[in-house]
Amino acid sequence: MTAKTLRHLIVIGLIALWEILPRTGLIPELFLPSLSSTLKAGWNEAPEYGHALAVTLYEVAISMAFACGGGILLGAIVGSLPRPRVLIMPMVSCLYAVPLVILYPVFTVWLGIGTESKIAFASIYGFLPTMLATAAGIQTIDPQLLLAARSMGATLSQRLVRVIIPAAIPTVLSGLRVGGALVIVGVVVSEMLISSAGIGYLISRYRTILDSPHVFAGVLLVLFMAIAFNALIKWIERKTAIWQTGTRAGQNAADEIGSGAVQPAT
Amino acid sequence: MQLLANVTQLKPPQRAGAIEVKNVGQVFKTSTQDLVALEDVSLEIKPGRFVVLVGPSGCGKSTLLMMMAGLRQQTTGTITINGAPIPKPDPDRVGVVFQEASLFPWLTAEENVEFPLALRGVAKSERRAKAQEALKLVGLDGFGKRHPHELSGGMKQRVSIARGLVQDPPVLLMDEPFAALDEQTRMTMGDELLRIWSATGKTVVFVTHSLTEAVYLADEVIVMSARPGRIVDHLQVPLPRPRTYEMLSGDAFGKLRDRIWRHIRKSA
Repeated sequence: MTAKTLRHLIVIGLIALWEILPRTGLIPELFLPSLSSTLKAGWNEAPEYGHALAVTLYEVAISMAFACGGGILLGAIVGSLPRPRVLIMPMVSCLYAVPLVILYPVFTVWLGIGTESKIAFASIYGFLPTMLATAAGIQTIDPQLLLAARSMGATLSQRLVRVIIPAAIPTVLSGLRVGGALVIVGVVVSEMLISSAGIGYLISRYRTILDSPHVFAGVLLVLFMAIAFNALIKWIERKTAIWQTGTRAGQNAADEIGSGAVQPAT
Repeated sequence: MQLLANVTQLKPPQRAGAIEVKNVGQVFKTSTQDLVALEDVSLEIKPGRFVVLVGPSGCGKSTLLMMMAGLRQQTTGTITINGAPIPKPDPDRVGVVFQEASLFPWLTAEENVEFPLALRGVAKSERRAKAQEALKLVGLDGFGKRHPHELSGGMKQRVSIARGLVQDPPVLLMDEPFAALDEQTRMTMGDELLRIWSATGKTVVFVTHSLTEAVYLADEVIVMSARPGRIVDHLQVPLPRPRTYEMLSGDAFGKLRDRIWRHIRKSA
């Protein structure tokens, strides 16, 4: 049996357990409602969940744009210029260890409990790993490649477009994977804390009335969102970085960040 | 026959390719002291010659090569190629091949060879044709679609040479191009390089640590000493061409090698 079929079997087994354990009464429905009753609960309130999903996806999309755009931009600056690096990097590293969620109540004071405060929080949350990965990706580019490009008469902008950017792509993508996942976490967590809409809000509201099937329907939606995001990143990785199979110094950094060895405090 | 077919596809050998180095010095300024890397280096290389630079580590031979490539500026003195100074890299006059193949891993072999042409906006079809020609010259016909990680060390270095030759510059500078290869590949690549050189008529300046490689390949060997880098000997290699493996064990070969070794031992 290959590892892949085994993995599939494990997933199928877990799904089956989700249905069987509550049904047989081994686990009370209050703690874990069966898969079928979860799906039914979600289906019955489909418009409500649909609306919540739309709000959450909107917040995720905007935060993703801020986190990735800002992270790549600042990461590129910090990665390529030593002076900003000396100024900014120690600060960023410190910030990375701070549980940023403590800022969220402050954001709600500044921006209200609507979408703005979630976007602000999730953007900052996803920004840091994206920026760190981009900086690492650019710093670990083989200087020989840049020298070779220069010997062929490449101008500064040609070196940026034809060498630095393609060389940094694998590491940056790993950063995007972590950063994007954190954006989703940031949005859902902030919705659960203080808000009036979104999937996190629904989960938190149904929890207060102990309506487990509806809580789990929300959980399921978040799960799908995260899986879909991961699949998207994997697809982009396959499309853009076929050359990754070669060994490369920066790859280690990319793996480290990609595998989650470098993680912020929550 | 294969070789003849290759030769006919190339432009006729150009007479351009003279290199003149006059009283060149290079000083690296560090916070504590000034480090003299090269001191009063002068030499003249005639078009079409195969010249090898040898010397102990830190003698500045790579530095000298980088200055000939326009990748670094000398502190004093002048360097001219085809009679004109070289203030910045000029791939029309000088092609450079580095120690590590330094190919772009995200490009295929032929895209790597096309790279210098793409930088100057040469049309795609013309680029492809020239890259094919260069790959054929280095014996990699049919490998153009592979990525560097699918090529052996020797093949990568061939791609690198093809990239250096694709714009047909009169001068090819090579900075320890075979240092990372194993002994057998290194021997084969030496013969390959001589074949390519005699087919194209380029001026080649080749930096190496290997004395055997130096004598085997060169028309002239320039021996440098370390700290400060200076030329201590400039010897002609009168061995006939084509060079053969048997010459390695000959008397003439041994004498030349010994002469170089004595210089290097003294200064190291």
